[in-house]
Amino acid sequence: MIRVEKFTFGYKKGKPLYRELDFTLGSGKIYGLLGKNGAGKSTLLKNLIGLLYPTSGSITVNGFRPRDRKPSFLRTVYFIPEEVYVPSLTIEGYVRLFAPFYPSFNREMLNSYLHKLDVQTEEKLTKLSFGQQKKFIIAFALACNTGVLIMDEPTNGLDIPSKKKFRKLIASIMNDSRTILISTHQTRDLENLIDQVIIVDDGELLVNTPVGAIGEKLSLQLVETDEPELAVLYEEEAVRGRLVMVKNENGKEGKISLEQLFNATVENPSALKSIFAN
Amino acid sequence: MNDIFSAQRFWWLMRKVMVERTSQILGSMVLCLVVTFIVYALTQLLQGVEVGQNAGFEVGLVLGGPLVASIVFGYFNTSASGASFLMLPASAFEKWLSGILIVGVLYFGIFLAFFRLIDMAFVANYYRGFDKALPHVKERMEAVRELAYNGVVGRGTFLMYFNFTGMLMLGALYFNKAAFVKTALIICSLIVCSFVLNYVVVSALIKDTQVAFPFNIVWVWVGNQRAPVVLPENISEKITFIFRYVLPVMLWSLTLLRLKEKEF
Repeated sequence: MIRVEKFTFGYKKGKPLYRELDFTLGSGKIYGLLGKNGAGKSTLLKNLIGLLYPTSGSITVNGFRPRDRKPSFLRTVYFIPEEVYVPSLTIEGYVRLFAPFYPSFNREMLNSYLHKLDVQTEEKLTKLSFGQQKKFIIAFALACNTGVLIMDEPTNGLDIPSKKKFRKLIASIMNDSRTILISTHQTRDLENLIDQVIIVDDGELLVNTPVGAIGEKLSLQLVETDEPELAVLYEEEAVRGRLVMVKNENGKEGKISLEQLFNATVENPSALKSIFAN
Repeated sequence: MNDIFSAQRFWWLMRKVMVERTSQILGSMVLCLVVTFIVYALTQLLQGVEVGQNAGFEVGLVLGGPLVASIVFGYFNTSASGASFLMLPASAFEKWLSGILIVGVLYFGIFLAFFRLIDMAFVANYYRGFDKALPHVKERMEAVRELAYNGVVGRGTFLMYFNFTGMLMLGALYFNKAAFVKTALIICSLIVCSFVLNYVVVSALIKDTQVAFPFNIVWVWVGNQRAPVVLPENISEKITFIFRYVLPVMLWSLTLLRLKEKEF
């Protein structure tokens, strides 16, 4: 479990990037962290794993304070940064050097994940393309079987088939004891994968809701003409008019994509925040 | 689980560091040894064995040591390798100790052994070509001996080695990019500033100052002659103690604190 209380963080004194954030991420769920470029997604992730320290407030991950970076904490979390690091070693060499640090590492799982992601090579990892390197690190991270897995833009650099395989693989390894947090600005990459969506913008947590609840709170309507009585949160062009997103007040569950939710949140942050706060 | 030190985890870490960074660590060490050999060989040809051994020893330790020191914690050039290093499940103490062992034991030991070997070879070579028919044979023979590690040059060089390596390790943890260059520039600036400041202060106090070495000696003109003004012995001993023990311990300990508090 990840617990964030009154979390404030800023790179410069007096200019906080996040102000008094409170949220909890439980086990057994895949969380999607969405935000614009520069919204501070990576910063938030780095605070959760102890690479950055909160200015004030507290963060605990499975009872540990991340900033202490104790080995007993580090062996239970795996962080995949946007730019992955691979040394000049073969897969065998990498496993021999890195795997002992993770007590739950499973070699057979690694082989299976590598196979599923199409990473089969005897060459040194530095000779692989960026996408292949990233897939290797993803496979290794999953095989470490850590309770918390945090990925920063994991699909960046992956081709379209690999993105699909990635989604399938993540869905297949999920269990009740794991917490997976994936940050991205490419909302389509997380469609049908995440259980809960978190949207951050301008230092605020605007949305933190189960994906299933989105349709309960919001609905999309197709309109042909301007309807001033509608409180439109977001609209987009459609073939026979315009699709408008409004607060769901008729009780019928609507289908809204993550991209539409994200766009609506960015355009109308305060309205969406208040809708999902209730 | 011991979160400060575990022998097994430390072994995994040392193995990982040495295998993963073989080319950087061993490469820089070999480079330093080769440069030492070249400096010794060329200088002894031009200026004699004594000057050559001093130059080789100082270059190898005072320049080579800091170079190796800046490499052992040089993970922060890229965000990926920096994050990988900090997120590796080993304690800050173990990570620090791995760097300390490489700089303070491995390189130091290898360098001293290597230097002793080449020193013995050059000194033996000197005696082989020694003309015993020349005057003052005894004095000239006694003038060339293998460098004593506990002599004035040896102790002075060790002092600089442990201080400069401490500064470079600390610099590698403060500056993410081009740490060696940035730290070296800061050290040079500090030295220049301390010389200038010292000279200005001493000149204000003592007329006819020729040159003033901080914490050491001031040369003044007395008529046409130069005369030294030295520190009282007890103060000189205290300053030497600070530079020899206190400062290196502080710098190397600060490296541990900085690594522990490093944000990236």
